[in-house]
Amino acid sequence: MSRWPRPARPVAPIGGAVAILGIWWLVAHNGGSGWVQTLGDLVFGTLTVGILGPAVVLARAKVYLFRAPTDSVAGLPLDVGIRASTRLRVRPICPRGEEVFLGPVGRGRPPDDGVTLLPGRRGVHESVTVDIATAAPFALQWWTRRVVLPLPGALHVAPRRGQPDSLPLGHHEESGETNDWTPADVGQPRGARPYSPGDSRRQVHWRATAHAGELMVRDLERPSAEPITLRVALPIDPDEAERIAERALGTVVQLLERGARVRLATAETMGPVVAPVVDRRGAGRRLARAVADAGIVPTPAPAPKP
Amino acid sequence: MRIIETIRRVNQPGPPEHSVRLRVACLCTVIVSIAACASMGEIPVTTTAGGIGLVTAGMAFSYATRSRPPSWVKLFVAAGAIAASVWFVHAVLAPVADVVNVEEPLTLLLVSVLVLHSFHVPSRRDLTFALAASAGLMAVGGAQAINLTFGWYVLAWGCGSLCGLIWMWRSASDGGLISVGRLVGVLSAVTIAAAAVFLVLPAPTVAAKLSLFAKAGIGGSVGIPGALAGDSGSPSELAHPGSPQGPTRVGGYLGFAGSLDTALRGNLGNTLLMFVRAQRPSYWVGETFNSWNGQSWTATNAQAHPLREQSPFMLPFSEQSTASGQTDLQTFYVVSSTANLVFHAQSAAELWFPASRIFFSEDGTIISPIGLGKGAIYSVESQVIAPTSEQLRNDARGGSLSPSTEKTYLQLPHPYPRVQALARSVTAHDGSTYARVESLIDWIGSHTHYSVHIPPLPAGADTVDEFLFGNRVGFCEQISTSLAVMLRSIGIPAREVVGYVPGSYNPITDLYEVRADDAHAWVQVWFPGFGWQSFDPTAVVPLSNPAPGSAALHDVAAALGHVPPVPSSAVLLGALATAGLVHRRRTRPRTWVERVARSAERAGRHAGRHRRPHETFVEYATTLDTLAGDGSSAWRQLAIPVQASAYGGNEPTLATQRLLVTQANHLRRRVTHRARRWHRGGSPAP
Repeated sequence: MSRWPRPARPVAPIGGAVAILGIWWLVAHNGGSGWVQTLGDLVFGTLTVGILGPAVVLARAKVYLFRAPTDSVAGLPLDVGIRASTRLRVRPICPRGEEVFLGPVGRGRPPDDGVTLLPGRRGVHESVTVDIATAAPFALQWWTRRVVLPLPGALHVAPRRGQPDSLPLGHHEESGETNDWTPADVGQPRGARPYSPGDSRRQVHWRATAHAGELMVRDLERPSAEPITLRVALPIDPDEAERIAERALGTVVQLLERGARVRLATAETMGPVVAPVVDRRGAGRRLARAVADAGIVPTPAPAPKP
Repeated sequence: MRIIETIRRVNQPGPPEHSVRLRVACLCTVIVSIAACASMGEIPVTTTAGGIGLVTAGMAFSYATRSRPPSWVKLFVAAGAIAASVWFVHAVLAPVADVVNVEEPLTLLLVSVLVLHSFHVPSRRDLTFALAASAGLMAVGGAQAINLTFGWYVLAWGCGSLCGLIWMWRSASDGGLISVGRLVGVLSAVTIAAAAVFLVLPAPTVAAKLSLFAKAGIGGSVGIPGALAGDSGSPSELAHPGSPQGPTRVGGYLGFAGSLDTALRGNLGNTLLMFVRAQRPSYWVGETFNSWNGQSWTATNAQAHPLREQSPFMLPFSEQSTASGQTDLQTFYVVSSTANLVFHAQSAAELWFPASRIFFSEDGTIISPIGLGKGAIYSVESQVIAPTSEQLRNDARGGSLSPSTEKTYLQLPHPYPRVQALARSVTAHDGSTYARVESLIDWIGSHTHYSVHIPPLPAGADTVDEFLFGNRVGFCEQISTSLAVMLRSIGIPAREVVGYVPGSYNPITDLYEVRADDAHAWVQVWFPGFGWQSFDPTAVVPLSNPAPGSAALHDVAAALGHVPPVPSSAVLLGALATAGLVHRRRTRPRTWVERVARSAERAGRHAGRHRRPHETFVEYATTLDTLAGDGSSAWRQLAIPVQASAYGGNEPTLATQRLLVTQANHLRRRVTHRARRWHRGGSPAP
C-alpha cells in the first residue's frame, strides 16, 4: 500500500456522489431554479469536503510510537503505545494486531493510545507498520495510509516453545559414572565434605554435620562436558522454519533446565553466529534473529582445559 | 446468483446506531425540509403537521428497536414505499398532468417516503439516507422559492446536516470530536467548494416547455374589461411639483395607461413589484404608443380584442418581419399590485395566464382582465429576434409595413423643422437606418443629461423642442420621445414603448427583481427584415444573461466599493496585528529552557538537520557541534545545563539563565548567517 492517502472502497461513495450531483445539476440547470442550483452547490461542497477532506486530514496526521516492549513471544499479545494527533483508525499490519481507534476523544479525557499487537511469527522488528485511516469530518469516505513507526529499540519476537527434540543420553547417565562431573560452586549436589575456610555458610549441610560431629558442607559438582551446540538450520519455508525454531527453543530450554551449557548455531542476516545462550530470553532472541540458511558451519568448540 | 449475493450484501443491516444526538440532528433536518416545502405551499398544513409528528414518532420507534428491529417493520416500510410510488406514477400520468401537477405529488411522495423510512432507521447508513432524502425535499421546496426568505430554511437545514454529519463521524470513529478550529476550517472548505462551483456554473434556464404555472393572486378585478387600470387610478405623488393631467397610474408611473404624459414624472418609489425568471434579460414591454401630440403619447391602434381561449393562449404574431427569432420563456411572479398589463420580452407568442380570456391589441399589448396583485404568476413565451449590429446595418430588405401603418409610425403633430435639421445634420454621413439610429443615440448621449428633478414643462410647450433646444435635461420619457421624433422627422418609423428594465439580477434565486423605479420608456424602430427593434437612448441593456458567479462577484465588488477604505483598512490591519500578537503569544517560549531549545532547533533547521523525535537535546546539540565542523562543543555546553534544569531540577541563577539564552541566540545567528552565505555560494556548507 502506498504511503500516500488512498480512498478505501471509493467506487460506491464517489460514484454515488457524482451521480447525485450530476442529476441534481441537470435538474437545477434545466429547471431554471436558482435555489435548487444553490442548494446543489452546497451539497457539492459538503460531498467534496466529506470525500476529499479525509485525505487532507490523513496527510497531516502525525503518528508516533512512544512505548513498546523489547521482547515478546509469537502468538502472545503485546501492548504498544501509539499517539495520534487526530482521531484515527489504526490497523497494525506488521506485526499483526487488533484494529483500534486512537487519538483525542474530547476535552477532559485522556486520548486513546494503546494498541495490542499479536505477532504470529518470530522475528526482529525495528518498526511497526500500521494502516491509519480516517473519514473525518463527515464519515462519508474512508481514506487509508500506511505508515512505518520506528520502535525505540528492536522488538524480538521469540518463537513459541515447541516440543523439544529427544536428546541422546550421555554415557554417565546410562552407567551412573560421574567422571564427567567436576566440583563447582554451583551445580548438582555430589556429597558432603568437611568445611574449609572460604566455604559459603549457605552450603553448610547441617544433617551431615550432626552426623559427623564436625562442620560439613555440601560438595557440588557440574558437568565437565563440552557445551552442547545446537545447530538450527531454518528452511526457506516460513511455516517450516517457524516450526523448527519452536522445537529448537523447546530443546534449548529443556537443556538449560537440566543445567547443560548450550551453544546455538544459527544464521543471521550478517552471517552465521555460534554463541552460547544462558537463558530462555537469550535463546528466544537468537532464534528471533535467525534466518534461513542451510550452510551453517559451527565454529569448533574451544579445547577443554586440562 | 452473484447479483443476488450482492443485493443481499448491500441489504445487510448495518450495526445499530446508538447516538441520540445523530438521530436528533437527522430528525431536525427532515423536519426543516418538510417545513420548507410547507412554506412554499407545496403541502398543506395538516399534512405538514402529520408528517412532522409521524417522523418524530418513527425516529423514536427506530431508536427503541435499533438493536433488533422487528421484521414486520421492514415489510411495512417496503409496502408503503411501493404504494406511494404507484400513487405518484398514477398522479403524474394523469391526462391533465403538467409541471404543476407533478410537483405536489413529488413532494408528497418524498414526505411519505421519509415518514415511512423513519420507522426503520436502525443503522448509520439509514440515517445517511434520511439526510439525503431531506436534501431532495429541500430542492423541491427551493424550486418554488423566489426570494431570499427561503435562505432561512437553507441555513437551518445546513446547520442540522452539518451537526448530523459531524456526529456521524463521532459515532463512526468511536468518540472522535472536531475542534472549533477544525470546524471553522471545514465550514470554510465547504463554502469555498460551493462558491467555486457556484462561480463556474452557468445560470439555470428553463429548458423544457411544459404546462407552466399560472395563478391569479390578490389583484382584484378591473372595472372595465379590456381597459387599463392606470386610467382609473387615483392621483399619485409626482417627482416634482405640479399636477397630473387627469388620473394617474398604478405604481406612481404615468405610463401603463391610455396615454403617456411626457411632461410629468411620477415619484415611483422602490417597491418590489415582481420577480422575473427568464432565459435572458430583456426590457419587459408593457405597451406601445404610436401617436404623438407634442406632449403626450397615445395608442391609436390599441383597440384591444378579447381572446377567449384556455391557458395557454396562442397569441397572433403581430409583426410582419421575415426573420425568425428564438423563443424566450419568462415567468413573472407578482409581489405588489402593478398594472394590468401582461409584460413580456419583445413579441409574445404564447401565454400561460390565470384567466379564461385576455385582451390583445395589434401593437402587441396584452391587457389582463383581472388586477395583477400579490401572488399572481404568469408565463410568457416570446419570439425574440435579436440581430447583430452588422445584420441591422446591412438590412436592405424592402419595407414590409403597409403604407397606412408606416404613416402611423411617421406621424408628427407638426413638421419640427429644427428637429429635422438637427437629425439630418447628425445623420448626414450615415447610409443605413441602423447607422442613423446609432448616430442619434450617440448625439443624445453626448449632448443631454438625465434627471427626474426638473421643473414641469410650461403649458402648451412641446416636450421635444423644450428638451432638445432648451436646457437638454430630462428623464427617460423625454429622451426617448426626442429620439422617436428625430427618427420620424427623417422618415424612419419609430414608436414609444413603456415597461420595465430587466431589474437587478439575484444570483441566488436566478430571478430578476423588478421594482417600481425600474419603470422605463424607450424606442422601437422598424427594420424591414427584423421587425421592431428596441433602442434605449437612456441606458444600456446587457445582451446576455449574467452567470450567477459573475453577478455575485459583481455584487460583492460593488458592496466592497461602498466600504470606506481608510476605516476598513485600519480595522483589517488591526485584526491582522491582533492575530499576529495572539499567535506570537501562543507560540512564544515560556521558559529559558524552551528558548534555548528553540534556538538550537532553529539553528538545526537552517543547517538542514531537524531534530528527530527520539533524540535527546544533548544528542541533538552534539550533532549540531559536529555539523559546525569547527571542533567546538558550544551547543553541547549549552545543552547540559538545559537538560539538568529540565530533568534534574538544577535551576541555574537568573543571570546564568540570561547568559545561556544569549549564547544560544548568538550561536543560532552564526549558523543562520553561514547557511545564508552557503546558499549564496560564498562559503562551504554549514
